[in-house]
Amino acid sequence: MSAIHLQGLVKRFGQFTALKTMDLAIADGEFMALLGPSGCGKSTTMNMIAGMERPSEGRILFGNQDVTGLPMGRRGVGFVFQNYAIFTHMTVRQNLSYGLRMMGRPASEVASRTGTMAEMLGLTALLDRPAAGLSVNILQRLAIGRSAVMEPAIFLLDEPLSNVDAAFRAVMRTELKSLQRQFRQTMVYVTHDQLEAMTMADRIAVMDHGVLQQVGTPLEVYNDPVNTFVARFIGAPGMNLLPGRLLQHAGGLCVDLGPLGISAPLPGPLAAAAASAPAEVIYGFRPEEVQLDPAAPLGLPLTVTERIGARSILHLGEGETSVRAVFQSGEPLPEAGLVRFQPAAAAVRLFDAATGRAIRGV
Amino acid sequence: MTSAPTPEKDDGAGLGLRLTLPAQVLVLFISLFPLLMQLYISLTDWSPLSGMAWPRAWEFWNTFANYLDLVSDDRLWSALGRTALVMAVCVPLEFGLGLALATLFVDDFPGKRVAYSILIMPMMVVPAVAGYMFFMLFQSGGPVNDILSWFTAEPVSIAWLSDPTLALIAVMAADIWQWTPLMFLILLAGLVGVPDDQIKAATLLGASPVQRFLTIVIPRMKTIIVIALAIRCIEAFKIFDTLYIMTGGGPGVATETISVYIYKITTQDLIWGYVAAIALAILLVLSLLAVWAMRRMAK
Repeated sequence: MSAIHLQGLVKRFGQFTALKTMDLAIADGEFMALLGPSGCGKSTTMNMIAGMERPSEGRILFGNQDVTGLPMGRRGVGFVFQNYAIFTHMTVRQNLSYGLRMMGRPASEVASRTGTMAEMLGLTALLDRPAAGLSVNILQRLAIGRSAVMEPAIFLLDEPLSNVDAAFRAVMRTELKSLQRQFRQTMVYVTHDQLEAMTMADRIAVMDHGVLQQVGTPLEVYNDPVNTFVARFIGAPGMNLLPGRLLQHAGGLCVDLGPLGISAPLPGPLAAAAASAPAEVIYGFRPEEVQLDPAAPLGLPLTVTERIGARSILHLGEGETSVRAVFQSGEPLPEAGLVRFQPAAAAVRLFDAATGRAIRGV
Repeated sequence: MTSAPTPEKDDGAGLGLRLTLPAQVLVLFISLFPLLMQLYISLTDWSPLSGMAWPRAWEFWNTFANYLDLVSDDRLWSALGRTALVMAVCVPLEFGLGLALATLFVDDFPGKRVAYSILIMPMMVVPAVAGYMFFMLFQSGGPVNDILSWFTAEPVSIAWLSDPTLALIAVMAADIWQWTPLMFLILLAGLVGVPDDQIKAATLLGASPVQRFLTIVIPRMKTIIVIALAIRCIEAFKIFDTLYIMTGGGPGVATETISVYIYKITTQDLIWGYVAAIALAILLVLSLLAVWAMRRMAK
């Protein structure tokens, strides 16, 4: 019913192509995050789902209904704007009840539904306050409530947490997720913050330069990035990516990483997949998967140690051949000099150096 | 040593007063002096024809006789009523037309810049010239009658400016032509200032175009609307130049507004004591009206 299908969606603004052929199926009741850096086309995609922009090509389906040409007022989607677009000339109550009043619902129904929503969002005490001059955190909840009170089957959120302070953002992440579980709506959530996407979404659609890069659950996207962009973009810090050459060494297929040394032999499935790949590869592994070992094959000089509370980040080497490694703060860490390390065998990922695509073991 | 001023004692109101005193004296002289002079003359029967300078107007002292006279001055009252009528007709029409045009100009359309320039041109015309233009247009052999004759299929020769009712209509038409652009300009600025995402938010919540206009656009433009109406009401009350050139207040006194009436008794009848009384009375009434209107707006 409220599943969303984007079929061959293209959006051009004059000469500029903001979105190049997007195909995406969002299931009924799914929380889908559109994640990417600014200018990647995620907001354009969202605006087309809402009906604010017309696609240059392609179709948008809600369930089985083609809504491509349907004006935005008739799509019945809830939309939370990045800057909330609260009607500041009205009170909180007038904002919450706006949609219901415009639809001409009976006054008693408007009052009860508005009251319930206010109760749920903790806005009851503020109902008769003018919306102007409320704090950002409250405006944010009001913006969600104003759309949620209409009980839309599809809820679109455009970077709703980018303006609120860090502490409240954490609270809102949990709150939004529980709201969505409660209403069972299909939610599309645009963000450039991978932490938001990872914590809330059922699936993440990673976008870059108007192209959909990968769709998958947060763990799939984290563990098996399809290309170097996704590998670098997901995770904080992102995956370590080092240019290298495949070669036979020490009884297995290894990667020659130039100044770092030669890696340990690749695990079986990955080696099998790499056997048919071009020799020029990119060797990737998560900073969390680094093991320190004086006998390890790889080594780089320590540049900086960042200590951030529970974690410490070692920066090794610089430029093209730099590696970041994340450790729990309790672990003994080297203070200076050459650091020898290796990634956990299962954590190694290979990418084709020419195309950036992942080389995957089956 | 002891006479040197200490800055600590001087930096308060004392220094400020000394610095602004010349300007304050000047302002007082410009605003207060004419008011007092007018008040003085309004209490006398003095006229420049008496051969005496105005400081000696006390020789014609008649206390409140002028003020009593104006209460029963029918010509004054009908001029006031006519001025009110011009305001009541022109300002709402200018507002309606201006708002409608401004709404059209929010979105882009081909030729918008040219249309925009043409539309605001009347505002730039010197009012006296506009008066002369409309004087020519409304001649009985003029273009207005020509155009009307296209519809009636027979020659039309309405004597617009010689008919008491039609002359007033012609004058109002000129005023609407000239000042709708000002409304348009102010209201367009207001419309453009309504945030786009608020409109989108309202649309997504299911509001129809009319509902959006009434619940988002108009409330957001309230201040601008009040300013536009206030400017035009004040200006319409003072209507003079266009009208004076078109009809001279005539035929008879049929298009005499308050400004034209005061102008005529000042330059033709030269009863300056009475003129001063009228001017002061109007100033008083308008000030009270303005205070009342501002109090209402503040609510």
